[in-house]
Amino acid sequence: MEHEDPRNGESTHPCSKKPKIYSKFISEPEIRDEFSHHQPRVARINNGSFGSCPGSVLEAQRQWQLQFLRQPDAFYFNTLRNGITASRKIIKDLINADHVDEVSLVDNVTTAAAIVLQQIGHSFAEGKFQKNDTVLMLYCAFQAVKKSIQAYVTRAGGSVIEVRLPFPVNSEEEIISEFKKSIEKGKSNGRKIRLAIIDHITSMPSVVIPVKELVGICRAEGIEQVFVDAAHAIGSVKIDVKEVGADFYVSNLHKWFFCPPSVAFLYCKKSNVSSDVHHPVVSHEYGNGLPIESAWIGTRDYSSQLVVPAVLEFVNRFEGGIDWIMKRNHDEVVKMGKMLAESWGTNPGSPPKMCAAMMMVGLPSRLCLNSEEDAVRLRSHLRDCYEVEVPIFYQVLKDGEEGVRDKDGFIAGYARISHQVYNTLEDYEKFRDAINRLVEDGKTCKML
Amino acid sequence: MASSLHSQTHTNTMNGTSASAADPQSHISKKPRLHSPPQPLLITPSDILSEFSHHDPSIARINNGSFGCCPSSVLSAQQQLQLQWLQQPDDFYFNQLQSRILQSRNIIKDMINADHVDEVSIVDNATTAAAIVLQQIPWGFAEGRFHPGDAAVMLHCAYGAVKKSVEAYVTRAGGYVLEVPLPFPVNSLDEIVKDFRKALERGKQKGRRVRLAVIDHVTSMPSVVIPVKELVRICREEGVDQVFVDAAHGIGCVDVDMKQIGADFYTSNLHKWFFCPPSVAFLYCRRSTNNSDLHHPVVSHEYGNGLAIESAWIGTRDYSAQLVVPKVLEFINRFEGGIDGIKKRNHEAIVEMGEMLVKAWGTHLGCPPEMCSSMVMVGLASCLGISSDQDALKLRTYLRDKFGVEVPIYYRAPKDGEVGPVTGYARISYQVYNKVDDYYKFRDAINQLVHNAFTCASLPN
Repeated sequence: MEHEDPRNGESTHPCSKKPKIYSKFISEPEIRDEFSHHQPRVARINNGSFGSCPGSVLEAQRQWQLQFLRQPDAFYFNTLRNGITASRKIIKDLINADHVDEVSLVDNVTTAAAIVLQQIGHSFAEGKFQKNDTVLMLYCAFQAVKKSIQAYVTRAGGSVIEVRLPFPVNSEEEIISEFKKSIEKGKSNGRKIRLAIIDHITSMPSVVIPVKELVGICRAEGIEQVFVDAAHAIGSVKIDVKEVGADFYVSNLHKWFFCPPSVAFLYCKKSNVSSDVHHPVVSHEYGNGLPIESAWIGTRDYSSQLVVPAVLEFVNRFEGGIDWIMKRNHDEVVKMGKMLAESWGTNPGSPPKMCAAMMMVGLPSRLCLNSEEDAVRLRSHLRDCYEVEVPIFYQVLKDGEEGVRDKDGFIAGYARISHQVYNTLEDYEKFRDAINRLVEDGKTCKML
Repeated sequence: MASSLHSQTHTNTMNGTSASAADPQSHISKKPRLHSPPQPLLITPSDILSEFSHHDPSIARINNGSFGCCPSSVLSAQQQLQLQWLQQPDDFYFNQLQSRILQSRNIIKDMINADHVDEVSIVDNATTAAAIVLQQIPWGFAEGRFHPGDAAVMLHCAYGAVKKSVEAYVTRAGGYVLEVPLPFPVNSLDEIVKDFRKALERGKQKGRRVRLAVIDHVTSMPSVVIPVKELVRICREEGVDQVFVDAAHGIGCVDVDMKQIGADFYTSNLHKWFFCPPSVAFLYCRRSTNNSDLHHPVVSHEYGNGLAIESAWIGTRDYSAQLVVPKVLEFINRFEGGIDGIKKRNHEAIVEMGEMLVKAWGTHLGCPPEMCSSMVMVGLASCLGISSDQDALKLRTYLRDKFGVEVPIYYRAPKDGEVGPVTGYARISYQVYNKVDDYYKFRDAINQLVHNAFTCASLPN
């Protein structure tokens, strides 16, 4: 066929070796092939931590890297900026932002958090905020974000409120009501809440948070800035940043959106604050707006930021594109979660509508998982002896809290299972059988 | 014009092989000597061609200084590491990443004569290192340790990105910034030392306290090797709190000995002159300095565990460029004299090329040979009419697009009273992949432009 199939690539791409001709939609063998670089024997049910990248996108990335190495000066002057802008435009459309100026590309959510929090830190230092003005975050916020708050807020004299959400959780209403209560408590003593950081999908334990409602509550309570940490969101849940209504919204593209490590977008709604947000690695473009600053932070490999068009191509090889992928991942992870919980006699950590492509599944109490160390031990044991890669969460019970029981005792451990397009039923059966084996053998975590 | 470069022996020297290897009767020298360990096989000119075969062959790439270069054997090693991560990232994260970063840090520690590996952090580039060092300043003001009017000192020709960083972190926090102008063209080290001391004394006149001095080891544009050891000593004498040496071009280009130089902080890119892929740099922080407050601005789980540990995990990313340092050392040691041999031959070659060009064009070098490293500034004919930074950039683009020559151009504004000065200088670099022809191509391009009465004014905006 002579005519150009638009799925074979745009003119901004460096020449690939031969034009790819695809059959109508991607087939099962083709998916297997795309992820054939994954270690074959491992039941890789932890897409949530480090994501995944198909072979065709890795190849596109290599082409970009080669182009830079071939003639870096020409690449820097003529190619790089346009390539980044093309990626930003795609993301702007995916997340329903108003303007591409609102979309910056950074390495990861950790970097985005530093960007937003540095600005808060400046406000304390420059007297815009008073000592003891407050930042609000979830108790289960990602550890790196908590440290960032320590580094930029606490150090500058700000105080922190942690909102403890219930887990296991049964409904969105539980989350909303707990959140409201915490804000009220936080505002007692006349403290002003300057920033709220809300996860869209919490990491450990993983639950989909009703962010739109929580942002609404924040506005109603007069909280000036809201930052949504949506590390897991893009490719996992539908994103509409205008609907969500936050000032800052960030998500990693290498987790659920098939980009190579690493790239994230940071959406900054246009406001008085957004012009004062800077990349901490200051370079020539300082003062030209965050997207432009972030597009050059010194000589580096920017190739993972340039492959977003190639990722879109990949995703559109699936009938129904990313929407279909999201739905499929959700349906499968729920199914697998139920299968595991039934086999072990335990419970899921949240109802299906509060999961995306990850689910928390209770582990049998007979494993006696009673500490963080136990969770780490179990995870390593599963990796080393059963070739199962899955993160384990230890649930610390609040004073007076009873916790969920199975037939043998209290459930304090949960596994966070993920489903991505490369996963198969065998992955979860392998995990099911591993746990059942440990229980049958009378193993507890301390023995591992 | 007969150039010694035409002689095979000299060519071999420039390309880093032993002179005898090209000799047809050299098979005798290749046999291992009895009673001594066999010499590792030295890299050959055709090996080098192959290692850099991914470079665009149509370009005279005489700008190693800007973006560096990376041999394909190192790129392959990097790809292997990237693949290992992609195969099973959790396993790599828990079992490999930290020990491999530590291995790279240990190699760097030895190369730079640091006391302890704790003093060596690996970051993306010198730009990041500058942000790390400078971020201490606003905290100093916020926490009352510094007072309004306290100053930072930097060279007037400090790298643009570093100047912006100083603006973002010092000026914004209320600090005063003192810029030290250095002469260019420059004739001797003494000129630099004298001007620096004068500027520092003047800056301190109002009883100002100088909290930080930022000194380039090898300036970028215009490129000159600065006598950093002397300048660091002057800073100590003048009571400057902390000295930060920006040696973006340091390792692989000049001698990098932390204890000799004596700075509190020293950073250098490894992807410029040390054959690493983009991008990786080290930031050295002397242990005796009170610098426990240094943090990576991208805060992650390891916050508070020391800069080196913080920098080794700043969220999910591709750390492979930081992990190939052992492989790079292997590559370097295939050259006679290792990195020292490479530095020496690069320097000799660039001086020779620079002198060839200024002779051909009737201009001059920007500094004496002993003040250049593997880069040198070469005066461009004033009839080209370079009269602004934009002209310099436009000429650079023109040379790339029309002549296939990649070389950065520097505009030097004329001083009062100067008659017919040279206002444009090209910064030529020499790295192991360069050939004489690269510089002939540049020579001929400029000669042609001059012959055609070309001026920058004729270039479109």
